[in-house]
Amino acid sequence: MNAPVEDRREEWEGPVPVPTGATEPFWEATLEGDLLFQECDCGNRQLYPRAVCTDCGAEDPPFEESEGVGTIYTYTVCHVPGEPGFGDRTPYVVGAIELAEGPRLLAMIDADPDDLEVGTPVAVRFWRISDEAAMPVFVPE
Amino acid sequence: MAEPILAGVAESDLGETPDRNWLDNAAIATVRALEDAGCALEEVDGVAVAGGNDYMPALILSEYLDLEEPSFLEGTEIGGSSFEHFCGHVRDAMARDEADVVVVAYGSTGKTGPGRDQSLEVTHPVDGFVRPTGLFRPPGAYAMAARRHMHEYGTTEKQLAEIAVATREWASMNPKAAQQEPITVDDVLESRQIAEPFNLLDCCLVSDGGGAVVLVSEEKARELGVPPISVAGVASTSTHRQDISEMPDMTTTGAAVTGPKAFEQAGITHDDVDVAQLYDSFTYTALVTLEDLGFCEKGEGGEFVSGGTTAPGGELPMNTQGGGLSYCHPGHFGVFVLIEAVRQLRGDYTGERQVDDAEVAVAHGTGGILSSSSTVVLRREA
Ligand SMILES: [Zn+2]
Repeated sequence: MNAPVEDRREEWEGPVPVPTGATEPFWEATLEGDLLFQECDCGNRQLYPRAVCTDCGAEDPPFEESEGVGTIYTYTVCHVPGEPGFGDRTPYVVGAIELAEGPRLLAMIDADPDDLEVGTPVAVRFWRISDEAAMPVFVPE
Repeated sequence: MAEPILAGVAESDLGETPDRNWLDNAAIATVRALEDAGCALEEVDGVAVAGGNDYMPALILSEYLDLEEPSFLEGTEIGGSSFEHFCGHVRDAMARDEADVVVVAYGSTGKTGPGRDQSLEVTHPVDGFVRPTGLFRPPGAYAMAARRHMHEYGTTEKQLAEIAVATREWASMNPKAAQQEPITVDDVLESRQIAEPFNLLDCCLVSDGGGAVVLVSEEKARELGVPPISVAGVASTSTHRQDISEMPDMTTTGAAVTGPKAFEQAGITHDDVDVAQLYDSFTYTALVTLEDLGFCEKGEGGEFVSGGTTAPGGELPMNTQGGGLSYCHPGHFGVFVLIEAVRQLRGDYTGERQVDDAEVAVAHGTGGILSSSSTVVLRREA
């Protein structure tokens, strides 16, 4: 897939993920512009990454690459910053993205709120916010 | 089965308590609730605590109150619905003769206390997916659920605002309520934007304070001579926790499961319910809970609350103390819905504030981010 990865390390003042255990492969892939989800041998697909399959209980379900597209299941426009370091960004959009593969992912949406509605098709980009991780950010397709 | 009796209820001081910590407020609420029940501290043989910003809160409160060998200890943390959840465990414990006098307590310094200071290293890995998005939680997460409800059912901001207006009307009769000035739908719609579609007046207050409920066995209740307000039904569940996008269906909460169970246990239908005390962290929380408990059809909550249905004089009096929206909200509001349900069933109030001859109340707690649901049916026994 290889979506664009924009380096935002200099300007980022918000929290950054700490890759550990089951989330390590996910964050590693983000640096290359790849969005991963877990697809178990039983067919269950899940995100965020976990050490077990939530359907059959298999340990360490393998990762698959997402197409990086989906639709907005719902969203909000934050007028109050939810984290220190987000003060200058308000208002900003956060949504729940329903990926084409099924799993839902909470993510930033980089768009004018007026251009958005529930169901809007979106595609992933990445903002690299630390040496170890790039956050998925969705834009209208 | 023997049903526990809600013998005493009380709040600590509410609003700002800069000289108290959560434990002080929980303990103050406890001794006041015991006084309300006419019961001595030394008679307490059970403690259930949630929400204290501490490890092992039941042990801490037991020590603080210098309880002697309490036989019932509960500290299950399922957020704002913990106290409703405890009612079921207390019922089971009393059926086993394990305890006679159990204190369910909560305290907080949500307003003046220290803010959160957590690094992502020490929190759940899912936080690495949630916190860097900057989502303002909890309001933004609830707002996302509300937006989905609007999308699926055509619910409007104006309908949500009606809940805040009706709740404020109740608060105007409660001297303990933080906000007592009546408001209009336009006031809500024109208040500061927080997380769309929520404005400031769609959101609960932030307060310090605590609350406590004393549950006693039937035998003890007779001894104390308190009005027999019983726990007639209780059920709990959860759907997710940290991340709102993990909620299986963002327009349906666990109340759809716990409501029918609790109603069935109590042997009641919706027509029997005289007063509802439903967790209202946000206007939407109350709206979706009304639907999920079955007071109206799914998706018709907006229509249901329009025109003062839940206001004084309305068909279903709801959050008659002013709710989390106008009275207080120290964090885990669940203990306060129980307190008000008991007061209404005892007929503690006068005039319009008192729901006429209330015999059956529903108290519903919601915890996390619409994550946990616990329903209690309370009944004034003959
Ligand atoms: Zn599996």
